[in-house]
Amino acid sequence: MTETRIAAVADIHMGEDLRGHFRPKLHGIENRAEVLLVGGDLTRHGTVAEGRVVADELRDLPIPVIAVLGNHDYHSDAEQAITAILRDAGVTVLDDEATILSLDGTTLGVVGGKGFGGGFAGKCASEFGEPETKAFVRHTRQIADRWRRALKELDTDHRIVLSHYSPVKDTLMGEPTEIYPFLGSYLLAEAADEEGADLIVHGHAHLGTEKGLTPGGIQVRNVAVPVIGSAYTVYCLNGA
Amino acid sequence: MDAPHYVAARVQRALAEDERTVELGIRVDVRGNQIFLRGRVSAPERRLLIEDVAREAAPGLSVHNEITLVEVREPGEEEHL
Repeated sequence: MTETRIAAVADIHMGEDLRGHFRPKLHGIENRAEVLLVGGDLTRHGTVAEGRVVADELRDLPIPVIAVLGNHDYHSDAEQAITAILRDAGVTVLDDEATILSLDGTTLGVVGGKGFGGGFAGKCASEFGEPETKAFVRHTRQIADRWRRALKELDTDHRIVLSHYSPVKDTLMGEPTEIYPFLGSYLLAEAADEEGADLIVHGHAHLGTEKGLTPGGIQVRNVAVPVIGSAYTVYCLNGA
Repeated sequence: MDAPHYVAARVQRALAEDERTVELGIRVDVRGNQIFLRGRVSAPERRLLIEDVAREAAPGLSVHNEITLVEVREPGEEEHL
């Protein structure tokens, strides 16, 4: 069976001033990849107007586009409207759920969502103390639980997790360690490690590094634009 | 004058919360009466906007804008996992 080529990018942070700038860089993507994953922070302020710019940049690409939102896309409380605008433009937006693509005889399952923070094993918050702290950590745990369930039900040749927040510290190298708890959570990696996946793609950490590994050995890639320095990168999964 | 620590925090907060910038990825260092802004952004206009917001948040200090532009190149070699 042939390779499956995954194009991925995150943190494109579109605004009206960048309208028309991103789309030309996707020209010919159908010759390089079978699918494009976009790992959140599609906008700067999370406004409906910015959502429309993103939709126009991603509309009618010759390959499927799967996206999740990021923290910036929540800033104006318009995340549902942005999701609807993107879906109208043909983008599959994952909110802690799975989608399955059939690509040239190979099935690819993608589980995705925004993810959230909390920190990494040994140096993380826990559901203890004030309600605000508990709510913060519970949000991440519930997300991880939904990803675990979605992965468990996914019977495909390949499985990818698409997140905005990071599941590991490896790809945060370059960020100040003090803010790691706001950049990701080990709970996200733990869910994937329990159920298995070929790759986890995320963004959010602009000062981080591209490559990492979960404790269970799943490849992790930080594809934030400032990290990869290009409109997307391509990862090839071996034939199943 | 406020301690440099608080000035840096105020500027950082302004960059994150001001509707014109909403920028979380800029490092702010204060040395005496000088502010250094470091990081990378996608457009030259944003670079100047960030400088404006920083200047407003810390009037009277001299701002050194060392923010660079993200270069978005053509995708490179694919990686085989």
